[in-house]
Order: sequence, then C-alpha cells, then structure tokens
Amino acid sequence: MIPIRCMSCGKPISAYFKEYQQRIADGEASKAIFEDMKIKRYCCRRMFISHVETWE
Amino acid sequence: MEIEVKENSENEMVFVLNNVDLAFANAIRRIGMMEVPKIAIEYINVIKNDSRMFNEVLAHRLGLVPITSDSEAIESLIPHEECDCEDYCSKCSVSFTLNKTWDDLPKDESKDKDIQRIVYSKDLHSTDSKIKPVFDTIPLVKLKEDQEIELEAIAMIGKGKYHAKWMPTTVCSYKQYPIITFDGEKELSNDVIDACPNNVLKLTKNKKPSAQHLKKNIENCTLCKSCVRASENDAIDVSYEDNKIIFKIETDGSMNPKEVLLRACDVLYDKADKISEQTEEEIKSS
Ligand code: SF4
Ligand SMILES: [Zn+2]
Ligand SMILES: [Zn+2]
Repeated sequence: MIPIRCMSCGKPISAYFKEYQQRIADGEASKAIFEDMKIKRYCCRRMFISHVETWE
Repeated sequence: MEIEVKENSENEMVFVLNNVDLAFANAIRRIGMMEVPKIAIEYINVIKNDSRMFNEVLAHRLGLVPITSDSEAIESLIPHEECDCEDYCSKCSVSFTLNKTWDDLPKDESKDKDIQRIVYSKDLHSTDSKIKPVFDTIPLVKLKEDQEIELEAIAMIGKGKYHAKWMPTTVCSYKQYPIITFDGEKELSNDVIDACPNNVLKLTKNKKPSAQHLKKNIENCTLCKSCVRASENDAIDVSYEDNKIIFKIETDGSMNPKEVLLRACDVLYDKADKISEQTEEEIKSS
C-alpha cells in the first residue's frame, strides 16, 4: 500500500496515486503526469516512481 | 514591513517580505508549522478488522489523512486541553465511522483479477458535515472477499509540535532575496548560463546578460552559487539582501495558506500578550 504522505515533506501524495497508476497504464510519461498534477519536489516524485506494491 | 503577495492558490502561497527582521520571520515560520491548530484523527475504536492490515498500522494511516480544518469548520470545537472531559467528548472531538464489506466496494478497475478491493478516504463518514477528509481518493486498506471493516475514529484539535499529523503545512520556509550582479566589462560564458539549475540566467543576442529575464526569474534563484563557481573570470556575483525575504507556505489542503499565516500571527500575538500581562502582574505584586 502506498504511504498516505510523502515521507520527507508530508504532502498527501497517496490521493494522487490512483490517477497516476491509471495514466501510467494509458502510456503517459511520469514527468508529464507529475507536472500536470503539480507534484514538484523529487521527494514526492520518488514516492510514486519507486513504489512497489507488496500487498496483492 | 511590507508584504507583497506573489502567488496565492488553494494550497500554495508565495510572498515577499521587505524590511523584516529574520528572527521575526523565523518565529512566523516555526509557529506556522508547529503551533497552528488543526484536526486529525487521534483515537480509533476497532469493532471489526478482517483485513490483513494491523490495527496499529491502520490507526497510523487514518491519523495522517488530512481533514478540513479551516476556522469555519473548527470554530465549534475546543482543544482537548481546555475541555474538562477525560478522554474525549462531543465538545472536543468529531467522530467518523467506517463500515465496509467487500461486497459494498466497487471492483478495482485497474486490476484484471477481482481479488482485493480498496477502501478509500471517502468512505469515512463524519458526524459533522463541515469536517471531512480533504481528499476522497486516499487508499486506506484493502479487503478480500468476505472480509469486513468496522471502526469509529475520533478526530481532535492538536498542534504540530505534538505529532506531525497536526502540521497544517508541508512547506513553510523562507529564503533571503537574491542579488545577482554582473561585471559589465567581463564576458559571461555559456557555461555560467548552463550551470544554473533554475534557469535564472540568459544571454541576449549581443552576449550580454538579459536583465529582463533576470528580473522575471530572480525569485527562483536558490543562492546555490553554481554560476559563480562555473565562472572563471568572476563575471558574476551572487549575494542576498539582509532584510528582504521570499516566504513560501504550502499546506496539506486542510486549510488555505493565507489562514495559516494569519493564525500564526494570532498565536504570536497571544504569546506576546501573555508576557506583557504577566509582567504587569509580577511588578504589581512585588
Ligand atoms: S546562485 Fe544558483 S540558482 Fe542563483 S543564479 Fe546562480 S546558479 Fe542560478
Ligand atoms: Zn515530498
Ligand atoms: Zn472533551
């Protein structure tokens, strides 16, 4: 499960995770998605990019 | 002291403070993070939890969910310290209920197999219509077939200094206003321009630094001095103004940044007021 907030800055990144996954599945590039969702800092971006879903 | 608001959106505000003492700005920054009250879930009463997530982990996740805390929403609540109940009561807390079974939840469309279904923050139902989770799409827990979750969550007013879940801001910081000067006689190489990670610098057609571009982007400068290091002939110099700062407040959505600033000022005012009051009393009684 994705953590509720970014572990470094506290931004509630989990709220955007569903949309992110959906758009990645549709073939969009991460960078464009982040810029569109206004997720600017790399601490928050790594939460998405490096997430491994271990609970399936 | 002058304030100039540069940017103000729903959860981000940037403003420039001129003629300000850094110690004062720092007081505002610290109070904005640590002492502006907001609501977060503090207790949960688990009635049933069939999921694979431990109650403790679930409690932690629920605590971090941002909940609307603007002054309109929380005016009817009092902080627990000022209440005379023991654990919590209706005067100092709001309760949320979460009651879902696998059958209630929609199928997760992004998965091929329908094994796990996700409970989202929108499934938390509040007793107060004004106080609710800011985002509807925060995944809380997953359920398998025949599993059920039933709990009550108690949200209370608190401060960031007790737990990070009560911090209204995700970014609350300032930097000094940059001053970038060029030595007009020396030539500015392209290496210097390219060294800047924030695109603050640009050359005009006749190889002079573009003043227009600089004016527009100078507030993006982080004072990293990469440009100064890249310049071999000292054609550029970066310093900062002592009493002018760029302040940035970004919130987690529970209130807007303007409110954080105003309430931080209120808290500081109350503190100063308390000192002057006590001093008067102390001098009178001695
Ligand atoms: S100090 Fe850093 S951010 Fe500022 S102009 Fe130089 S390279 Fe760019
Ligand atoms: Zn972050
Ligand atoms: Zn009470």
